[in-house]
Amino acid sequence: MTLNIAIVGCGKIADSHVAEIRKLSCARLVAICDLEPIIAEQLAVRYAVPKWYTDFDRMLSEQRLDVIHIATPPHSHLSLTQKAVSAGCHVFLEKPLALNAIDGRRLIECVQEAGRKMTINYWPNFETPALALKEFIARGDLGEPVHVESYQGYDLSGRFGQALLSDENHWVHRLPGKLFHNIIDHALSKTAPFVSDEAPEVVARAFRRRPSSHDNTDQLLDELRVMILGSSVSAYITFCSHARPAGQFLRVYGTKNTAQVDFMLRTMLVDQFQTVPTSLGRLLPPFKSSWKSLGQATRNVREFAASRYHFFAGMNRLLSLFYESVLHDTPVPIPYPEILRVSTIMDEIFAQVYPKVLA
Amino acid sequence: MIERLLAHGYADIRCNLRRKTNIAKLEAISKRFPQANLEYCVGNLKSREDANRAVDGAQLIFHLAAGLRGDAADLFLDSVVASRNLLEAFGDRKPMRIVLVSSFGVYGVAALGRKAMVDEQTALESHPEWRDDYSHSKLRQEQLFWEYQRRNGFELVVLRPGVIYGPGGGHFSSRVGLMIGGRQLYLGGGNLLPLTYVKNCAEAVVTAGIHERAAGQIYNVLDDDPPTCREYLRAYTKHVRKIRSVPLPYFATRLLSRALVGYHRYSKGQLPAVLTPYKVASLWAGNRFDNSKLHSIGWQQMVPTAEALRTSFAAFRAELDTPK
Repeated sequence: MTLNIAIVGCGKIADSHVAEIRKLSCARLVAICDLEPIIAEQLAVRYAVPKWYTDFDRMLSEQRLDVIHIATPPHSHLSLTQKAVSAGCHVFLEKPLALNAIDGRRLIECVQEAGRKMTINYWPNFETPALALKEFIARGDLGEPVHVESYQGYDLSGRFGQALLSDENHWVHRLPGKLFHNIIDHALSKTAPFVSDEAPEVVARAFRRRPSSHDNTDQLLDELRVMILGSSVSAYITFCSHARPAGQFLRVYGTKNTAQVDFMLRTMLVDQFQTVPTSLGRLLPPFKSSWKSLGQATRNVREFAASRYHFFAGMNRLLSLFYESVLHDTPVPIPYPEILRVSTIMDEIFAQVYPKVLA
Repeated sequence: MIERLLAHGYADIRCNLRRKTNIAKLEAISKRFPQANLEYCVGNLKSREDANRAVDGAQLIFHLAAGLRGDAADLFLDSVVASRNLLEAFGDRKPMRIVLVSSFGVYGVAALGRKAMVDEQTALESHPEWRDDYSHSKLRQEQLFWEYQRRNGFELVVLRPGVIYGPGGGHFSSRVGLMIGGRQLYLGGGNLLPLTYVKNCAEAVVTAGIHERAAGQIYNVLDDDPPTCREYLRAYTKHVRKIRSVPLPYFATRLLSRALVGYHRYSKGQLPAVLTPYKVASLWAGNRFDNSKLHSIGWQQMVPTAEALRTSFAAFRAELDTPK
């Protein structure tokens, strides 16, 4: 069976959705929708999508759809999901989940009540090294997790950063957590499987490091540090838009080993122990580390040669798993409680760093 | 543009800007013209309200704004949606004339063959989705203006400039080559680089914009004595900075583009098809562009190319020397 897919929201992230859907044999993109006709039309023309709409309800009534990708800003996620599941569709949602955790909870509840499925685009967690880390932990090689560090670098001079800094009316400025709201769940979702407490203690601090633009965009903070204290595992989250290179990594400290996934370099490396005493023993671990790095690099080359090293390979894997769960009624790739935990912690962070906005 | 409009005797000008910080530059220009009466309207044409304020009561409108970089959605938002808002903002109060700055990118030149001459009669791009997103968005923008012109009956003048350059602008056009990993893949060879110095271009826009016979007309905008890509690259290397460039002749670029497209398909897009035979034929086939129609309405190149290049390169050098 081939799933009929539609996308609502034809902004820049929609390109990656289209590209990844087209790679999967179990799905076909039949329609796209955007309130702005020019934006819907350009996407349809560039990717030869059979039909484009500006009216979501009309698309739902005219097309026989199985899955809807919602790639609009988070303000509309709840209402679009409600309409989509009412029409019998499953939902693949672009992050962040919703404007706040209350809406997020309602969104997931409405999906469940309709007997449909949803997942969210936490695609880096489905990259090969992230999956290798999961296997490493499942084998018991890490031991019990003790602490997690998730680092999210960001380049404000990049395309998205420039788009929102040059436009005071950009939708990101209207989010409760502004820029953090749109990005930080990537970092948080990586820690969610480890800190499983319902309401861990959260301490968040944020500031603006870039120079003033003397307009409303100055309200947007660009550096964030978060400490999360669970009952048995703690986490540090760093969102940094000035350090270079703008990397992304997850470091997990366990009782047996410490492992690090570098999402930019696509590596998963385990810290080396000093096994030989005295200072001579410190000479060996860097060689072992280099050898392991070489192994990872070789694996990446093999992946590239086999055409499995796409930029959005993780998204492709996530989509594939989600479509499979729809086709065979198997569990969704990301458990709903994990998605809700991310959303709840985000609320807590924004309440601390943007108290006036939320008040 | 403001300087050229003031120099042509236009005094009452409303400038729509996205940022207040840009006002200072315009104020400095207006001080040189005692009759200047500049009004500033800060806003973004992506907002319909801002677009309404920008055009309220205006009789002659020069639309210069466009997205230059970003993803396709950004370019369409900045160029096409913003233009639609501007055109919608008039309502029943249609202006006497709108002057649109379009682009050479709207011409469909891929099928013309090497070194073909491109004038205002050349057909428009029929496969914009096969070109780059910028050209696609500029074509859609121009089509939109003609659609509204037919519907609402205002006078429309379209200028299609080549590569606009000057202090503060980009150092290289993709017509010279592509920067990949800190090296320039130099593809332009001996092709003429259709440059238009920013001051010459502004003069062209004003000349056509106020010319009585220009309504409904299209004008190519480029300077009279453009250098070849090779000459530009040599001069840049001499006066601005050394860059590592890898020259690739046209036939090799075609072969490379075929290989890239083949690999792109085979690998399901693991590497982007930055070069395709269509793009290569559109950008690096050495088309020549004709500006005689612009001359016919009295445009004269104000700054000779040699002087314009000297000024630009000096500014580029100073830019590199200025600590960020």
